[in-house]
Amino acid sequence: MNKTLMAYQHVSVKYRHNHAGVYSIKDLLTSFSRPFQYKTILDNITFTLAKGESLGILGRNGSGKSTLLRTMASIVKPYKGQVVCNGSIAPILALGVGLEMELTGYENIDLLLALYNQPRDKKSVQSIIDFSGLDDITLKQAVKCYSSGMLARLSFSISFANNCDIYIIDEVLAVGDLGFQSQCIQKINDLKAEGKSIIFVSHFPDEVERICEKAILLEGGKIIYDGSAAEVCAQYRKLF
Amino acid sequence: MQHLNQLYALSKRNIIVRYKHSLIGFFWGFFKPLLYLLIFIVIFSSQFSSISNQVLYITSGILFWFFFSNCTSQGAQSIVQSAGLIKSIYIPTIFFPLAEVIGELFNILLALMVYFIIMNWFGMIYSLTLFWVIPILFLFALFSFSITLILSALNVFYRDIGILWNTIQPALFYLTPIAYTESLIPQKFSFVIKANPIYYFIKLFRYPLYESKVPDFFLFGKCILITIVSCSVAIFLFNKMKNQFITAI
Repeated sequence: MNKTLMAYQHVSVKYRHNHAGVYSIKDLLTSFSRPFQYKTILDNITFTLAKGESLGILGRNGSGKSTLLRTMASIVKPYKGQVVCNGSIAPILALGVGLEMELTGYENIDLLLALYNQPRDKKSVQSIIDFSGLDDITLKQAVKCYSSGMLARLSFSISFANNCDIYIIDEVLAVGDLGFQSQCIQKINDLKAEGKSIIFVSHFPDEVERICEKAILLEGGKIIYDGSAAEVCAQYRKLF
Repeated sequence: MQHLNQLYALSKRNIIVRYKHSLIGFFWGFFKPLLYLLIFIVIFSSQFSSISNQVLYITSGILFWFFFSNCTSQGAQSIVQSAGLIKSIYIPTIFFPLAEVIGELFNILLALMVYFIIMNWFGMIYSLTLFWVIPILFLFALFSFSITLILSALNVFYRDIGILWNTIQPALFYLTPIAYTESLIPQKFSFVIKANPIYYFIKLFRYPLYESKVPDFFLFGKCILITIVSCSVAIFLFNKMKNQFITAI
């Protein structure tokens, strides 16, 4: 049961960084230094995640949390080190991800399920609709008319429909109303009860303590603290 | 197999989104060529009376020009516009320009069906040689895809590329013998036309559509060669750049 699900071994990520802000040929011609420089986003990240364990990731804005999540989903390739993953990973849950603003709620459900390679039968669609709590009239509207809370409900409901071993959750609880927040926490607990792993990014240490057993604290792309959720959260509070 | 699903979903999205909230939907796809056709007929008919069956001559070029133009100009933005998806789901980035070309292919097939009916009035002969359009279109779609691929990748790093491409397109259009015949170009400038790869494809399309002949195999070979070269260059360049997309979009 205690099998390692995910292991990071000295993972570093560098981004090519436009030194002079080169986004146009004009900028390129007027920049005297070399246009491309590399910036280290993640530096020597090492941790393991066992099956059924949940990991919290804490850190300031810009400390590399989202990049770390992207390396898990293999969207970003590490420049050094190795990411070993022995399970399937659900797509990152983050705000408004992949929703096509011109399409209706129903069309978006269909599109995203196809992109996530999930079954698109009536039952799975119905469970998404039920979880989102959005009514038929709303779902027939173009998504661009939704409020940010409604967008969050829709995109999270679709992402939760994935059947995977690891769920990556990036700041879910920031936008939804209280009802949806408790619904999400309920869902997370259900998933944990099923033996799934959760990787949870949040700026609320209380939530991290409630959901995760382990946590890491990132600062400037490095893990500065690694331990039980309670310890790491205490360190995180000291940062500010 | 799962990737095919993703590609299908993206292409479908492109088609739906393009004509969403428009009154006449995909009919716009052949209003644009039709308008250009009218302009050419009205303005140039006395100049170019040397062309027999002018309507058929122009249509057989203009339809495919707009296919190319739509693919490349929309495709150039495809990766930049899908930033949200690329940052959150693992989808091979090559699918975004590819889905644009597939969506456009769907549009041109619809347009072709309508034009096949209309063009019968203008003297198009129905025969089995018309089926040559299918392999030529396939080849031309691959060529368009390779250009789209390069543009979409470069556009991630330099947004000028998309704008630049839209600026030079009209020039490219008039450098392609669509509304006029090659013979109109003075001999000493003919190299300008011959340097334009689209010229060869348009010429090839005219064999079955305009002249009702089996395509010249030498020309066909040339087009295959152009496609192979452009595709290899495009895929090479795209693979070099694709890992850096995430940092620039």
